[in-house]
Amino acid sequence: MDHKTIKEKLSFVKLDRLIVNIVGIALFLVVAFSVYDYFQPEWLSYQAEFRDLVEGKFGPERAEAVPSGFQQIYLKTLNRTDRCITCHQGFEWTGLENAPEPFRTHPKEILKTHPISRYGCTTCHGGQGYATDMEPAHGLIEHWEEPVLGKELGNFYVMSDKKALMQMQCNACHRFDKETKGAGYMNRAKQLVAEKGCRACHVINGRGGTVAPDLTQEGDKSAAQFNYERIKGLHSEFTWHVSHFKNPKELVPETVMPNFNFGSADAQALAMLVMSWKRNEIPVSYIPNNNFKDTPTKEELEKEEKMLKGPGAFFVKKNCFVCHSVSTLGIDAAAQIGPDLAMAVEDVQSRFGRTLDDFLAKPTGTMEVVLSTMITLTEEERKEAIEKLRFAYELKQKEKKKIVVKK
Amino acid sequence: MEILELTKRVYNKLTWTWNPGSEKEAGDAIVKNLLLHWFPNKISKESLSWKYSMWLGTISFVLFGILTVTGVVLMFLYVPSVERAYSSVKDIEFVVSFGWLLRAMHRISAHLMVAVVFLHMVRVFLTGAYKKGVAVGSNRPMNWIVGLILLIMTLLLSFTGYLLPWDQLAYWAITVGTNIASAAPVIGEWIRFILLGGTMIDQNALIRFYVLHVFFLPMIVVFLFSYHMWRVRKDGGLAVADRLAQDEKVQEVKPVKTKTFSLLGITNGTSVHVRSLAIDEEKNSVSSAPNLLRRIWIVTLVTFLAVFVLSFIFRAPLEAPANPSVTPNPAKAPWYFLWLQELVTITTLKVGSFTINGALIGGIILPAVLLGLGIWWPYRDRSDLNTVGIWFAHERRKQNYIFLAICLFIIVLTIVGTFLRGPYWNFYWPWEQWPTMPVKF
Repeated sequence: MDHKTIKEKLSFVKLDRLIVNIVGIALFLVVAFSVYDYFQPEWLSYQAEFRDLVEGKFGPERAEAVPSGFQQIYLKTLNRTDRCITCHQGFEWTGLENAPEPFRTHPKEILKTHPISRYGCTTCHGGQGYATDMEPAHGLIEHWEEPVLGKELGNFYVMSDKKALMQMQCNACHRFDKETKGAGYMNRAKQLVAEKGCRACHVINGRGGTVAPDLTQEGDKSAAQFNYERIKGLHSEFTWHVSHFKNPKELVPETVMPNFNFGSADAQALAMLVMSWKRNEIPVSYIPNNNFKDTPTKEELEKEEKMLKGPGAFFVKKNCFVCHSVSTLGIDAAAQIGPDLAMAVEDVQSRFGRTLDDFLAKPTGTMEVVLSTMITLTEEERKEAIEKLRFAYELKQKEKKKIVVKK
Repeated sequence: MEILELTKRVYNKLTWTWNPGSEKEAGDAIVKNLLLHWFPNKISKESLSWKYSMWLGTISFVLFGILTVTGVVLMFLYVPSVERAYSSVKDIEFVVSFGWLLRAMHRISAHLMVAVVFLHMVRVFLTGAYKKGVAVGSNRPMNWIVGLILLIMTLLLSFTGYLLPWDQLAYWAITVGTNIASAAPVIGEWIRFILLGGTMIDQNALIRFYVLHVFFLPMIVVFLFSYHMWRVRKDGGLAVADRLAQDEKVQEVKPVKTKTFSLLGITNGTSVHVRSLAIDEEKNSVSSAPNLLRRIWIVTLVTFLAVFVLSFIFRAPLEAPANPSVTPNPAKAPWYFLWLQELVTITTLKVGSFTINGALIGGIILPAVLLGLGIWWPYRDRSDLNTVGIWFAHERRKQNYIFLAICLFIIVLTIVGTFLRGPYWNFYWPWEQWPTMPVKF
């Protein structure tokens, strides 16, 4: 082996050795950084802060008893692991009612009926229980669909009660309750559902008309299943529902859903309600009063039975009563959208300049849509309808005369 | 004292000299070690060159090693059940010590391995290294085919791993992937059924993909890799050695002055005259220990460093839990299959209201033709052995350009599919913003 080759060998050997050393050092540094990073999690500083807070308020002895490390509530039955209490350590303490978040005591009243050991945190609050950093835990991130339903979100949607969105979660168990203590928005929305007669067209909780979409599992829909073309601002399912409740035709021009002129708060409450209608897998023991059915109230049943037995039964059976009252036949529309059909004979003439027979044979406008898609009448049924409407009109005329006579 | 002796002895057994004092020691370091015995005793300097092989094969092996180590740890943490898979991955992400790092490294290594194995194939083609060499029993074309199978195994390994987190990304990527497979004529539906263990992606599919991912495919890779390396040794090392051997000229070895024993005692004289090729070989080669080992060590360290740093930059994503009733928009196959998905799009033709589905042409026929060509080509390529081991050899220019064009085509389609396809599979330039997808809140 001559001298030259040895030298050549040495040159690349030197460089190789240098590279090994440099890369080795670099590797050592990044590994050291990763270890350092591992010991600096966000929650650690919150736990230190909490201990300081406790020490300041209650003395060092109690501060020492504060647990450290990951804290979690594991609920096998609800399939939840909530690590929120890793940072929110003061949730069960007495005396931290006015402490700053995340250390504040949880309101005690609700915990008496909903102990954390049984319900966890995210069951009511939303958020990502798995997470141990604030941002992913509060869940307002991509790919997490259940953010914390708290002030931040309430502010964003300009709710008058900033924390109201959380009430949606109550409905997971309290869905079939007529009224739930502390869930004002939900109660208001449920009341509106009964008042406005939504069931006339929609199946709600498994019961109702089939004219409009079944809403029993409306909340399970994906946000992408709605059309946002006419929505300004953020394209969110919640925004869609609120705008839709405020003015259905504005979002879906071809809809026959009436405009109920809901105010913001009502529209928000209803949006929350429909979005809470999900297929939840909740153990039976969590459902209050073992109530799995949305049964109609006594008054509702009585009213319906009366209408079905009375002379206006035809209009109930054919679903006309959804929009129209027929006052003289004892039909009281749930949602007073269309005019009283007791006046139909006169009304049609004055509105369309056509006779009732003619109009029903060839309807125009909204009725064209309704009578061609949702309520189809056979020849005989049409005759029956006209007959009944004439009868109702006669009764109306008699009523009027009576009033005149009385006067 | 005895304990000290013993520890010293055990230590010496466990370690070996990295700086051999003689050629014999250098040879022993290789031959006597189980892990190193498959290396040659001496290796040509050209084979060690960074520029020639770019060490892509070694890099893919190191990546496979990282994948195995991180994968085995992840196996202790991951639960292959539809109910628990997603939450177990969430736990790995949030509460397992360095869990997120393990997962990110596993993912990055998998992506890199697909890319590096592909580039390794490109290198072998461009340097003509698949050509049958001069060594006795050389069969480099066979090794090229083994390499192609290893590439497919790498893709399958990555593909089967894709499903395991059981999130939306996983679910829909496998949906797209298996739907492309089902477009194969006659047996397509059957392939999909066998892959998924049914007609839908559910527990059966998950356990199948899991067993394939953690056992069968890695085993196949280990066996094929061993054969791949054994063939390299049988074929006489890297292909560049074949050309070097041709260049070597028979030389006369200068007789060395020596002392010999004769009947009459010790006499001075010279040794026998020898004509040998070994001179050039001697000049061009160096001891594997420590020169080859040091370079392998460098490649290992650099690869590990890159994976480690990239894991910090690109965290492994975990989307919403798999939901068969909600399709993400756009739904994409894993990135290395996006050129196929793109091909399917391009070859799907609409004639009036009649649609010709491109899944058969783009998803099955074209890749099959490419694979067939790949297997056949080493036997078709009759260029001179002088061209072996040279990048862009003049004689092989034409085939290199065609090969590069095909590779470029695949890469461009992959880039288009990955970065330029937005919602509804619409095309968006990088400067165009995708429409924002709606959210719940």
